Amino acid sequence: MAAAAEPALSELDHAGIARSLSQIADHRRDLADAFFERLEVIELPPEDQHGGIRVRRESGVAVRLVRRERTWLATRDGISRETFSGAVRRVARALPRTAYPEPLFPEETWTEAPEAPEVLEFPAALTRALRAHHVKLSYRLTVRRHRRWVRVIGTQLASGVERESFYSFEAETPWGRGGGLLTELGERAAESLAGNLVHAWRAREAAPPEPRQSTVVLAPAATAVLLHEAVAHALETDTLELGGHPEAAIGVELGAACLDVFDDPATAPEGVRRKADDEGHPVVRRCLLRGGKVEQPLADGVWARRSEMLRAGAGRRAHRHLPPAPRSTHLELMGGKAARDELMAAAEGGLFLPEAERGRLDPRTGELELRFAYGFRIRNQAPGVPVGPATLRGHVSDVLKAVAGVAGDAACAGAGWCAKGGLKLPVWATAPDVLLAAVRIEP
Amino acid sequence: MTTPVGERLAEVLERLAGRWDAAEVFHKTGRSRSVRYAGGASCSAFHQEEGWAARAGDGRRSFFYAATGAPRPDAPWPDADGRGLRLPPARLVPEWTPPLDLDASLLGENEAQAFFEGLDRELARELPGARLARGELDDGSSEAHLASSREVAARVRRRAATLYLEAVGPVRGGRAVTLRAVEREARRFQPLALARRLADRLAIGERGTAPARDRGEFLLAPPVVVSLLDALSPLWIGPGAVERIGQLVDRRGRVGSPALTLVDDGRLPGGVLSAPVDGEGQPTREVVLVQEGLFRQPLLAWWQATPSTGRASGCAARPGWRDLPSPGPTHFYLRPDPALRAAALVEGLSRGYYLLDVEGAPRLEEAPRRFALPVCGFAIDGGRPTGSVSGAWLVGTVTAFLNGILTAARDLTFLPSRSGLVGAPTLLVKGLELRRRRDRSRD
Repeated sequence: MAAAAEPALSELDHAGIARSLSQIADHRRDLADAFFERLEVIELPPEDQHGGIRVRRESGVAVRLVRRERTWLATRDGISRETFSGAVRRVARALPRTAYPEPLFPEETWTEAPEAPEVLEFPAALTRALRAHHVKLSYRLTVRRHRRWVRVIGTQLASGVERESFYSFEAETPWGRGGGLLTELGERAAESLAGNLVHAWRAREAAPPEPRQSTVVLAPAATAVLLHEAVAHALETDTLELGGHPEAAIGVELGAACLDVFDDPATAPEGVRRKADDEGHPVVRRCLLRGGKVEQPLADGVWARRSEMLRAGAGRRAHRHLPPAPRSTHLELMGGKAARDELMAAAEGGLFLPEAERGRLDPRTGELELRFAYGFRIRNQAPGVPVGPATLRGHVSDVLKAVAGVAGDAACAGAGWCAKGGLKLPVWATAPDVLLAAVRIEP
Repeated sequence: MTTPVGERLAEVLERLAGRWDAAEVFHKTGRSRSVRYAGGASCSAFHQEEGWAARAGDGRRSFFYAATGAPRPDAPWPDADGRGLRLPPARLVPEWTPPLDLDASLLGENEAQAFFEGLDRELARELPGARLARGELDDGSSEAHLASSREVAARVRRRAATLYLEAVGPVRGGRAVTLRAVEREARRFQPLALARRLADRLAIGERGTAPARDRGEFLLAPPVVVSLLDALSPLWIGPGAVERIGQLVDRRGRVGSPALTLVDDGRLPGGVLSAPVDGEGQPTREVVLVQEGLFRQPLLAWWQATPSTGRASGCAARPGWRDLPSPGPTHFYLRPDPALRAAALVEGLSRGYYLLDVEGAPRLEEAPRRFALPVCGFAIDGGRPTGSVSGAWLVGTVTAFLNGILTAARDLTFLPSRSGLVGAPTLLVKGLELRRRRDRSRD
């Protein structure tokens, strides 16, 4: 993916920038860094909406100084000597003793015409895919292509240019709305979305399940949301801090022994794979749960400075105007030995839930809630009659300990947008089917 | 417009108008201070933003292009696609006097830190053991310019401060309570009053119980009414509102009780978001949606207004340069009774509940329109509180709520909502029901 947006970041005068930052990091153990960001979003709105194609292009810089428990951040739109130096001056706690020459910045040009033919073609591909199901549905579709380039330069380290390119969609129907993330747009993505729309349409008048303890099989897309809410959010240092010291979580038995969960941005789907996080630290393959026990919580650079037991590499920024926070990027649940049929056989009469609409973890009480727009009653080891909207509810530890089986075949499943603490971030997962024994299901 | 910004806008407009029937350029700059407080740790940020957007097209195709920085006549415009663009003509804007405090300086970093520390101290004094777990204070000012090929030329300046607080009580593992507030200037937030509100909520949450089921008269404090009005606000927007409201009208042609008057006012005197024009340069005005229980007209953007639907409301919201204008409320509120104190309503309540706040988001069912709102407050007997209530749903139909309003007090309070601000006074309501929440059945 070559883009004219990239040279502006790859040609930055990193030595000059680091020198400027060293002037404000004038206490021992001060951390000073500059986060440079360029992004582009091309959106095709629903047909009935006012106006045509929408393009948004942004660039900017954020300069940060961390001193003990305090952080100062200054952000400016545009990448230039003026914006960088202005941000450095805002963050500086005192006038520097010596003034280095200001770094040079390449001229910021983004002359590439915004084009995304695959976005424009997707609605027609979806119409064709729905026709193949012999179904004509009424829906409003929004499709977006997201591209982002980021680079972090600090007094101690400088990352290369990190790139992200992916797609998002929202489909609104008279019986509900849904959305998701994709790394590719095309016939396969259209077929997958068409299948989901048809399932939701067929289940639109199905009765919700009775409130009771139920055995449940989660498909990979639903497992991805479970992992994100129950493992990743539960093990983020800013969540763990609410209960005391984050390091105290290490070794705690959080889930069933069959759960081995990793966060590995380097093995994320192509297009969103990362070598460094949004603080410039190299990413690590982080084992969150091994045999159900907590091994390494998700930490950013600030948390890693506070404790030797925590490792940096999971700092993420939704955009330059917010400081980094510890978040997952790409969760992996290691496959088990079971086949899907075996899980379905063990859940006879229970529910098969293919995809979660949304999830939520109360960070203080540990109460977990996953919402499903529809599901299926399991009959003869297969999804049977549809059921209407259902909610899986329980304490995070109870739900994770209820995992009674993990299938062998993991699939890449976009977990969707995470919005914790006002940070809107794309998160990804590779997960297999999972069997949950006796979890609380409510309408 | 003779400012440099005006000249840049005119240059871009000239370039676009030479090729397209309709063209519009929008530019916005802003400065803001945001302070995040979490116990000992804090983050102080200063943001300087500048961005612009252009819309251009003809009857058949159009595009929207937005970018950081100053407007560029040589921007790489995207190809217009198959949706046309219409823009409103310039209209006479009634005289407007900008608020005097637009130029007040932004809150200083140390002032913000002292605000949170003071609030934390007061909270601990009000309820020993309670503390402020998280605070977010944003104080900003902005200036926007708009010019179009239909001779619209407008300038809007704004000033707003928002506050989010999260507090925890002395009981470890207890639920956190949250509070949101908005003012034009951050210095108007009162730490003592806010600390008392948080302490009340924490005390209620820890001691409160909920009746299995009860009816009676309810006093609903502004946060409770605002939550309901916010959830119901889509009912009143757009030409489809006539049909939606039609389903709520009774045999006498009433949508609510005579105490129900709903208004949206984009130029509300003293309102935080007050402005002479909306996001498309159309004059703002007071629009009475429901007058003493009778439906008058919906909120309509200029392109939605016809002789059958009603006059345009001047209600195109445009929060920033990234956004396209879309119809929505600015100051949407239930008109108070200036002669009635809220305290007088409490004293006059013989048996019922005084519900002070919400404990979560409302649930709204489409058909039949029923709502459930998690609430907390006090049980009242003979005008005096007899016990705390927490873990309860306030349930009813939308019709029962709108028709059950007996009186409104004078304490009109605005709170931030999904779009714009929503305001309400304390209401005395009948015809609703209180039910214990399932997640609190152990209480």
